[in-house]
Amino acid sequence: MSRISSDFVPQLLAGMVVNFQIAAIALLIGLAVGGLLALAKLSGGVGGAIATALIGLMRAAPTFVVMFFLLNIIPSDATLLGVPVAPSGIMTVALSLVPYAAAYVADNGSEALRQLRDGSPLGALLFLPNVTRAFFVLVMSSSAGAAIGVPEGIAVILREAELMPTLGDKMVLFAIGIFCFGITLQAGFALMRVLQRHLGRLALRAR
Amino acid sequence: MALRHVLYVVFLWLVAVAGLPAHAETPDAALAKLIDEARAAAAVPGACEQPGHDRLVRIFCDGKIRVGVREYYPLFGTREGQVRSGYDVDVARALAKHLGVETVFTRVNAASRIPLLADDKIDLTIATMGHNTQRDGQVRFIRPHYYRSETIIVGPKGLTIRDWPDIASRTICVTIGNGSNAQIVSHNARLMLFDEAGVLPDKLRDETCVLAAQDDSFFDYYFTEPGFAQAYDKKFGFAQLPWGMAVALTGSDRLARALDLTSQIFHRDGVFLDVAARNRIGLGFLESQRALWNRPDCNTDTGNADPACVLPALSAALQPTPFAAQVTAFETWLEKNTGIALQLPMFKTVPAWQLFKAGIVNSLILVAGALVATLLFAMVLGALQSSRSLLLRWPARALALLLQSSPVVLTLVMSAAVALALFPYSSAVAIGAAIVALGLMNGANAGQAIAEAMQTLRTERGGPPAPTVELFGRAVSRSATQIVSFLVNAAKGTPIASFIGAPELLSALTDITSFASGRITTYSMLLVFYVVVVIVVVWLCDRLRVWLERRQMVAA
Repeated sequence: MSRISSDFVPQLLAGMVVNFQIAAIALLIGLAVGGLLALAKLSGGVGGAIATALIGLMRAAPTFVVMFFLLNIIPSDATLLGVPVAPSGIMTVALSLVPYAAAYVADNGSEALRQLRDGSPLGALLFLPNVTRAFFVLVMSSSAGAAIGVPEGIAVILREAELMPTLGDKMVLFAIGIFCFGITLQAGFALMRVLQRHLGRLALRAR
Repeated sequence: MALRHVLYVVFLWLVAVAGLPAHAETPDAALAKLIDEARAAAAVPGACEQPGHDRLVRIFCDGKIRVGVREYYPLFGTREGQVRSGYDVDVARALAKHLGVETVFTRVNAASRIPLLADDKIDLTIATMGHNTQRDGQVRFIRPHYYRSETIIVGPKGLTIRDWPDIASRTICVTIGNGSNAQIVSHNARLMLFDEAGVLPDKLRDETCVLAAQDDSFFDYYFTEPGFAQAYDKKFGFAQLPWGMAVALTGSDRLARALDLTSQIFHRDGVFLDVAARNRIGLGFLESQRALWNRPDCNTDTGNADPACVLPALSAALQPTPFAAQVTAFETWLEKNTGIALQLPMFKTVPAWQLFKAGIVNSLILVAGALVATLLFAMVLGALQSSRSLLLRWPARALALLLQSSPVVLTLVMSAAVALALFPYSSAVAIGAAIVALGLMNGANAGQAIAEAMQTLRTERGGPPAPTVELFGRAVSRSATQIVSFLVNAAKGTPIASFIGAPELLSALTDITSFASGRITTYSMLLVFYVVVVIVVVWLCDRLRVWLERRQMVAA
């Protein structure tokens, strides 16, 4: 433990902020794209079929591969109408999570819209805890950014671990990482459960 | 009698002298003769106006030599205002002084240093150019070589890295297209690719990279910065590459010969060494060359053509596959007919083709292994979490909680760290560690679903009956949707195994693109491959889910 540098914990916390940033960006874009896909899916016809196929493809695309795909196909000096559009490392990771987020939002969003059409606004509101769950899954998944040098929480842990001479020292570091991420995740899931219970109570009162 | 004796001795001496091999000329004498002839040719009235002269004669006609040098290569060729400095620049000045002419510098870069020679815009290029067999067909390299670089691995001083075995499974930051990338890959290191070398020191400083590989000539400059030199050091070097001055292939025979001899003399007399010391670059190669060119067998006018004295060019060409020509023809045909510039580097060279094939096979092994491991861990952890014994149930639940709380990359790295503590690094160990990690992560979640299903079954039966195989089977059937979802998740997660050095397809293609072109095609193919694999897994898992659900209905 004494071998861990004094600024490790502040750096880890700063790195975890990056994980939250990535998850927030991915979810926001996912909500926009997934919302449109959900509407298209429910509208039926050719548009609905295309939306369903797109959602299926997005669901099947591995995040890690999408990240490397984006990293390698967008030139670092890419511009659009003279404006640089090459994404930063953080943005690349966030964009790689968008297919998952959008597919998730489309699936849950179309279900919520169906509930709404069937006259169950509270059933539709279950969309909120589901999105909360997705957000925390995205926070955990954003650790993939370590592979392309994004300074997120896991990258900080792995950097420190490289300098640790023994497996025991490394395991101490990893345990700190699991504790920090675990607390976050479990807090998120607790929030989701509170939200679900609250909505359940509202549903009972409405009856 | 005495006279006859003297004449006999003289005769014998003459015979002996005639029988001896001719004394080799010194490089100095050969150079002086060459220069005198060229000067004489240039001094003939009206001769300089005549076309077709060798460039050496023209240099004396003009009284100047046009040299292409770099302007943004620290310690070798830089320019601030009108002031040029660096080893290459000073070598050019020393050469011009030796020939008795002035230098006229022209800026060149990696892309223009050969075309400017061919277009007769410059007479000589001294621009950090490595001598490989591919370039031998484009320019005439001056030998002996004026410098030699090597690729070095640089990292924090506290990190113990001595040789290739120490870098297995580590990530090394490199630049795309660097000729030594293939060698790094062959020692089981992972690559993090960057477009330009200039970012590498910053990536080391901000700790994005723990290790970086690049020419020692590049890092020489950064090691002159006290802060950098204090924090980082050279771990080891490899892929030595001789650097050559070069002239045009045609019309430069005498100039090339004059420069060969001058280079030889500069090595022997320590001129290169002095210039290098002034510019604070590495001296090891030049010191060994000085000793070599002082050897009697090398210090002759033919020494620069003697394989025992000069270094060979680096063989840079990768062995083509038997079908490389057809692949190139297909690329050309496609571009001509559709305008799509498809590049398929994985089919063109033997190392790339082997990496590609191994990548596909390993990916499929990884997917199959992850699916089996997920099912296995799901069953085991599901059974343990359903147990009536607290000693079995709670540790299993704690493990599931731990695995759920750990980001996927961290679990993978932990699995690899444990595996490497038990076994020496190999591709099989990396793949095995990835399979265990993916199986545990997804199996823990699926196992929890089985345990929850078991709980509902017990509740439905009005109490907590002892878990039986029949009840467990029904719990598995009931949690079919969850199990399938985590199986799909495991298959989707397999590419992340490349993070710990498992040589699956993503890892293989990253390696291929580090020494070949065609990144867009390569990564597009990769995406398509994995999407297809996941779709197949989804289809198969769906069959499994239907079978499990039918089984539950029959049991009910």
